Amino acid sequence: MKLSFEWLQEYVDLDVSAEELARGLTMSGSEVESITAQGADKIMSFEITSNRPDCLSVTGLAREASAVFDKPLRLPAAKINAKRTHKDHPEVECVIENAALCPRYTARVITAVKVEGSGEYFKDRLTAMGLRPVNNVVDITNYCLMEAGQPLHAFDMDKIRGNRIIVRPAKKGEKITTIDGVERKLEPGMLVIADSERPIAIAGVMGGLDTEVGEGTGNVLLESAYFDPISVRQTARRLGLSSESSYRFERGVDKGMIAKASDRAAEFIAKEAGGKIGKLYDAGGLKAKGARVKFDLQRAEKVLGISLDKKGVKNIFERLGMNVAKAEGGKMTVAVPTFREDLTREIDLIEEVARIHGYDKIPLTLGKMIPQVTRKERSRLVEERLRQVLPALGLNEIMTYSLISESAEERFSAISSRTVQLSNPLSEEQKVLTPQLVDGMLKAISYNINRKNRDLAFFEIGKIYARRGEKGAFLETPALCMALTGALLKNWREGERNADLFDLKGMVEDLFGDLKLGSVFEKKKVDGFTDCATVKIAQEKEASGFLGEAGNELLEAYDIAQPVFIAQLALGRVIEKAGLKDHYHSIPKFPMSTRDISVLCDKDLAAADVHEVITATGEEIVRRVELADVYEGEQIPAGKKSLTYSIEYGIDTRTLTDEEIEAVHSKIKEALVNKFDVAFR
Amino acid sequence: MSVLERLEKIREEFDKALEACADARQAEELRVKFLGRKGELTGILRSLAGLSVEEKKQAGQRANKLKEECTEKINAVAVKLRGEQYAKKRKAEDVTLPGVRQRRGTLHPLTLTTARINEIFVSLGFKIAEGPEIDTEFYNFEALNIPLDHPSRDAFDTFYIEGQHLLRSHTSNVQIHLMQGQKPPIQAIMPGRVYRPDAVDASHSFMFHQVEGLVVDEDVKFSDLKGVLTLFCKSMFGEEVKLRFRPHFFPFTEPSAEVDISCFICKGKGCRVCKGNGWLEILGAGMVDPTVFEAVGYDAGKYTGYAFGMGVERIAMLQYGIEDIRLFFENDVRFLRQFN
Repeated sequence: MKLSFEWLQEYVDLDVSAEELARGLTMSGSEVESITAQGADKIMSFEITSNRPDCLSVTGLAREASAVFDKPLRLPAAKINAKRTHKDHPEVECVIENAALCPRYTARVITAVKVEGSGEYFKDRLTAMGLRPVNNVVDITNYCLMEAGQPLHAFDMDKIRGNRIIVRPAKKGEKITTIDGVERKLEPGMLVIADSERPIAIAGVMGGLDTEVGEGTGNVLLESAYFDPISVRQTARRLGLSSESSYRFERGVDKGMIAKASDRAAEFIAKEAGGKIGKLYDAGGLKAKGARVKFDLQRAEKVLGISLDKKGVKNIFERLGMNVAKAEGGKMTVAVPTFREDLTREIDLIEEVARIHGYDKIPLTLGKMIPQVTRKERSRLVEERLRQVLPALGLNEIMTYSLISESAEERFSAISSRTVQLSNPLSEEQKVLTPQLVDGMLKAISYNINRKNRDLAFFEIGKIYARRGEKGAFLETPALCMALTGALLKNWREGERNADLFDLKGMVEDLFGDLKLGSVFEKKKVDGFTDCATVKIAQEKEASGFLGEAGNELLEAYDIAQPVFIAQLALGRVIEKAGLKDHYHSIPKFPMSTRDISVLCDKDLAAADVHEVITATGEEIVRRVELADVYEGEQIPAGKKSLTYSIEYGIDTRTLTDEEIEAVHSKIKEALVNKFDVAFR
Repeated sequence: MSVLERLEKIREEFDKALEACADARQAEELRVKFLGRKGELTGILRSLAGLSVEEKKQAGQRANKLKEECTEKINAVAVKLRGEQYAKKRKAEDVTLPGVRQRRGTLHPLTLTTARINEIFVSLGFKIAEGPEIDTEFYNFEALNIPLDHPSRDAFDTFYIEGQHLLRSHTSNVQIHLMQGQKPPIQAIMPGRVYRPDAVDASHSFMFHQVEGLVVDEDVKFSDLKGVLTLFCKSMFGEEVKLRFRPHFFPFTEPSAEVDISCFICKGKGCRVCKGNGWLEILGAGMVDPTVFEAVGYDAGKYTGYAFGMGVERIAMLQYGIEDIRLFFENDVRFLRQFN
């Protein structure tokens, strides 16, 4: 909402500059976003909140300024003497078919107007308020709209067929070309103003081109009405058409201003365009009645945390155009003017008192302490822990959009469940709530590689979304995605080494270990990935996720030309099972002994199986089994590999003898031979 | 030769031999030769058997003293020789070569900003609560006094999923879940991800993050809201910032306020970031509207409360001097590595 400072000063005696006014109004709730000089005038741009349609006019802002600065108002008024109106005007029939959507409609005929350009005064005022001057009649309706906030419309009387005005819902198939030259299809339910044959305006939104007032117009029908805010809003939205009128009707115009605005405009038209004013046809009979609201001073003090005196509060109400109708002690009944339909409850009046009193005068206090334990929830603690561990492993946290395209979603059908889709997406790119974090991860990797940043180590902790069954509940569950690509290590001393699957797997093992969880990896094919394994929490049935190398098709889809290693884990069970407490285990008092064993086996034998046999056979005296080396090559037969393990032996109560260790070590060898037919090097 | 003369001779021989020592190994040989179990000095001490008590005592003292002196000398020489040897073996490093650094990872700036906000409120006695991103009209709008087809919805364009289900356009839905789930008192903050169908540009995103707060009890006052938010802003943005509470409108609070802090970049003088007016809009806040209490079955006569909300992206952008909201979700590693 724009406001001419000069115009405002016609209605309120202010002794402050535009800047001071702006500060005062901003601090009382009508925020001034900017002030620009226009000639000698200052144009102020306001952000008027949707609860204050009364401020969408010069009069309204004058009332605010008057209240805030406690200065007298001088509002314009016109009173047309009904006896002096012309009697020889054509008779008009005004019919409201739907009183709920139009509780009052007034029309007035003004004959013998001379339509031409407006005088400088009107032109300047409208331009200052951001409107384009059209002609004297139209400009006056706009001037009065800006002045008082009541939208008005002038029809060319001679184009109205049958001298009938019918306010009714549009019929199926009806169309209207509005004054902006656009033909609009009307839908049943949209309220229109019609003559005996066709719609001539969309009620409260925009007039029709056919009945527009232009140079040839001799007689005018002036409309001033009240239209239901919801109906106007729905119609404007469905047509994608918003106007100064619809903006105000949607928010609710002053029911007390309907006839007054018509009088004021008619008076101006008679003066500026030389017309003869006819009588006011007034249909619908809506009465403007201000609310009466109870107000308790003590309650206000309790809500705001200040002490108030009755006189001061009464003064605030009066400055705002209200009257204290009844007062017993601190309990008052306040009569609210018709233009303040937002004030219906005590709390609304408390806010009025607060904002005129000044928020800055309310002290700073701290309420009583609320006794509660503020320990964070388990999910938050685990996620926080992960956010400590993952950066320590060298990963950068990324954050990706939860909305992805359908085509991206389809690439991951193998790791997705039933998806959740938007019914009104902004674009195809953001249509599906993502059921996995891999798409976002690959996008981030691709984005960086395209900018020549090829060595990346990323993680994201985010939600993934799914639906249980076709019509079932919506699920949002936390998940973790990790990825490595390019060099993991690069320095002058060690040179460069690219990340591989085992770097990633090691990180997964590390973070499981950090959460005191065992991790189990099982080889498994996952569509789109190669060298895949599922990742399971030890002793769990279901896998938490997988890790693997992105397959060629995926890499192509994201325009990536280097290997990418990815892991995705659902965090639900991880959060439930994670150990968050550190518990001390005593340090062994007796020395451990280490024996190495080099197992020569088939190339295809899974290392995890060998490991399993060693731990299982070794019983409690094997403390640790570590794979020290994997060898394939010239020194061993083709089709074979050599796995070298370091096995640490020891018990808590004493030092083991060589014989004891040797016995178990031989047992392990024997078990390996029996199970896998291996040899030892 | 008397014992004492022999001792003197040993001393001379030892000193000479010590001088001739070229490396630590020779020093060790010398130690064995003179001071070892079968060494010369030890031999003398053993040969004292035939002497008188007085002589024995004197010779013994002299011999022990000599042994101590020799041990000291040989130790000193050995340390020196080992040092020389070590220095000879060591290759001199070019200390101007760059250090070999471990690359630490980083946290996302929105994670860091949310964590700072959370931490301050937790220290003020707030709990952290969470709620669903996929929710219904009731929780996102109706219970918050935002009726259908009302202009107050203009500020909340919304993504819909199906029927009553939508993607929350603010974290205020968590307030409703929280109040439905428990009786007052409540003192909680609600961080989370929210969505609005805004076309993406430098200052708009269809997905962003908020932190909201809610306090409900008997006797919660507007002045308490001012007190808590003042403490928060000073902890978050610096003790010197000033606050300004401006009346505003939110459907779910009454009275409502927008909270500005004095621009911490130009110290309130006016700059590009604060658009020249010296103030930065940081929070929306207000006293919980009685209609909201009615929607969750709280006695609006008995309880009062306040609520507030802030945008995490906006705060992070101000604090880090980030000018384009898209940077948060592009994940350029050169951006990500700047935050710790």
